[in-house]
Amino acid sequence: MATEQRCFPADLHLSTPNGARLNRLLRMSRRDVLMGGMGAALAGATGAAAATSDDADIAAFMAVSQRLTDRDTLDMRIGHALFAGIVHATPTRRDQVSRLHDLMTKNSFASAHDLAKAAEQADPGFKDVIHDIMTGWYRGLADHKVVVYRSALMFDITKDAVYPKTYAAGGPFYWTQTPPEVAVPTGEPALSPSTFVVEPT
Amino acid sequence: MSSEQTLSADVVIVGSGVAGSSIANELARAGISVIVLEAGPRVDRQHFVENFRNLENKPSYQGPFPSVPWAIHPPNQITPNEYLHTTGPDAEAYQQVYLRMMGGTTWHWAGCAWRYLPSDFELKSRYGQGRDWALKYEDLEPFYYQAEVMMGVCGPDPSVEDLGSPRQQPYPMEALPISYAAQQFRKLISEKTPWRVVHEPQARNTRPYDNRPTCEGHNNCMPICPIGAMYNGSYSVYHAEAAGAKFIPNAVVYRIERDSANKRVTAVHYYDPDKGSHRVTGKYFVIAAHCIETAKLLLVSADEQSPDGIANSSGHVGRNMMDHTGVQVSFISGDKALWPGRGPLETNVIDNFRDGAWRDTRGAYLVHMVDDNQVDLATALAISKGYVGRELEEQIRYLASHTVRLFSHNEGIADPQNRLTLSQTHKDVLGIPHPEVYYKLPEYTVKSCEHTRGMFRELIGLMHGTDEQWTPGYFPQDHPAGSTIMGTDPKDSVVDGFCRTHDHENLFMASSSVFSSVGTGNITLTVAALALRVADTLKKELSHA
Repeated sequence: MATEQRCFPADLHLSTPNGARLNRLLRMSRRDVLMGGMGAALAGATGAAAATSDDADIAAFMAVSQRLTDRDTLDMRIGHALFAGIVHATPTRRDQVSRLHDLMTKNSFASAHDLAKAAEQADPGFKDVIHDIMTGWYRGLADHKVVVYRSALMFDITKDAVYPKTYAAGGPFYWTQTPPEVAVPTGEPALSPSTFVVEPT
Repeated sequence: MSSEQTLSADVVIVGSGVAGSSIANELARAGISVIVLEAGPRVDRQHFVENFRNLENKPSYQGPFPSVPWAIHPPNQITPNEYLHTTGPDAEAYQQVYLRMMGGTTWHWAGCAWRYLPSDFELKSRYGQGRDWALKYEDLEPFYYQAEVMMGVCGPDPSVEDLGSPRQQPYPMEALPISYAAQQFRKLISEKTPWRVVHEPQARNTRPYDNRPTCEGHNNCMPICPIGAMYNGSYSVYHAEAAGAKFIPNAVVYRIERDSANKRVTAVHYYDPDKGSHRVTGKYFVIAAHCIETAKLLLVSADEQSPDGIANSSGHVGRNMMDHTGVQVSFISGDKALWPGRGPLETNVIDNFRDGAWRDTRGAYLVHMVDDNQVDLATALAISKGYVGRELEEQIRYLASHTVRLFSHNEGIADPQNRLTLSQTHKDVLGIPHPEVYYKLPEYTVKSCEHTRGMFRELIGLMHGTDEQWTPGYFPQDHPAGSTIMGTDPKDSVVDGFCRTHDHENLFMASSSVFSSVGTGNITLTVAALALRVADTLKKELSHA
């Protein structure tokens, strides 16, 4: 029987989620790709090496990140990876981070809240930059990829109550114990709200 | 391209999920030769765990399980879908996901191991709705227990907490202690409502069992238990292989061959990933390929002898598609911190509406308070609200500790109009059509969902909830059933009470495809019990052959 010869990689089933996304993309029509808005994922998976960044850019990113997280220290290695991902996904972020840093150094902001509020007033485009930076440090994501999981700050600030999924270390039945109480927050948002979309299961 | 040799076994099984692998295990242990053909690849647990950790969208149950081109499965529950094409007024309510992988879809179940209620098998005779099964609860009870022992199910002492399904034996393991969040929920329900919260029976270890460890509460039962404390079909695959069963991955069955009288199946044919064709002969054949793929295979195999598909003299193959339709809401509790996400995902259920006289007019349901870690969702939400720095951290802690998620399983009902057919427009790389399902929610189910919404609104009020987020419309619970429905009359059903097809004496179905009603409990334990009953039948017939 004549048949079309196919040659799938023997280890195709072992591809990573990012690789799998690429496999799927290769089977999708151009229209699907455009409709799904997944062009960036394709570029990311096939693509160029991470954007190079000079010391000044990284230093600006770290300084802005520390102010926006109200933290004195952040992990430089994670910062490098986040900045590379953020700039890879949106190349204009390199300049935007630099300008945000300029705004910060020309003024004296006592808190993340003050900087973010002033930044959005100065340039509404800074809101998306700040979202990227918050998403990077707190959720560990950049360029639609996981940069860090356990080390994302969201887990650092909840570690007295819950574990990152798949990393529980409390022993069997730890969950029956009473977790810490949490006071009602009093702080205000710094930025205007954005549409929140729950990702599909 | 044809293979040079024909494979052969006493029993040939299509599908390696909980049904196929547990039958293979039983038969192999009885000295019967078995070949299991699995369309998808063989992948180990640690690879899925690594995939999960590197997944951007952590709630994606399918995400860690990328499919292969020769055995595509639905990538997600989005309509339109890359593989499962749903149509009709409630297309989105039937956008099921499942896995085509060695071990099957229980890679990402939550271990909820319910027995059906006796009434679930007698819906027509008791309530005048839907269909009766061609068996009674009592017929299945010993196999329910066998399935519980096979999986390792923990559950409550019936003398303390009767779940409504009479037991001859206690659960193999003691009930799982519920989390602080579930304890508070249970207390509230007990004190403020006429309802109750029960321990959910779960295929999850509360002590070391079957060479697998005690649950450590990684809160990731779906999509993947990282330590194997929860049963999935792969463990039955390993046991069956140790007993001598042969499993062939990447073997996509596309044809069911019969004798000239069209009474007995003589072989099945499968494609390998390069479309080389192979023939496998046997004495008995079991299709255990998930509700959707099972019906698809019977229809794909249509030929001159059976122009409407195999085992389809009734015309009911692919009809009567059912599911547990879901209602879901998340909200922020105004009471004390609960911190969901400590322990397994699903441990407790409101079971008051699993049965009642009202089932003559509306479907039954059960309600889960999902114990899901909300940290990532809380963080994404707080960022979108515009918080940064210290205020962001306050919000994350508050939202993660106060988010409550409720969802239901609402009873579907057999309607022949809800039908799976072969896509006329989409084929996979092997040339096999994709499945397509027309779905209109039965009024019986819609009424049930309305009742559930009322209960959820009452619970939100009792918990002083705010920020309600209702999942729009109706969503599928990935419990499809009914596509090769069971019945006593060959004119309106596909299999008999032993899951044997009316048309072909040596062809059995082992899947939720045989369900005549769908009840409320998760379907897997009933699938396993029915499969073990098929294994029992085959053992008896082969020993007398």
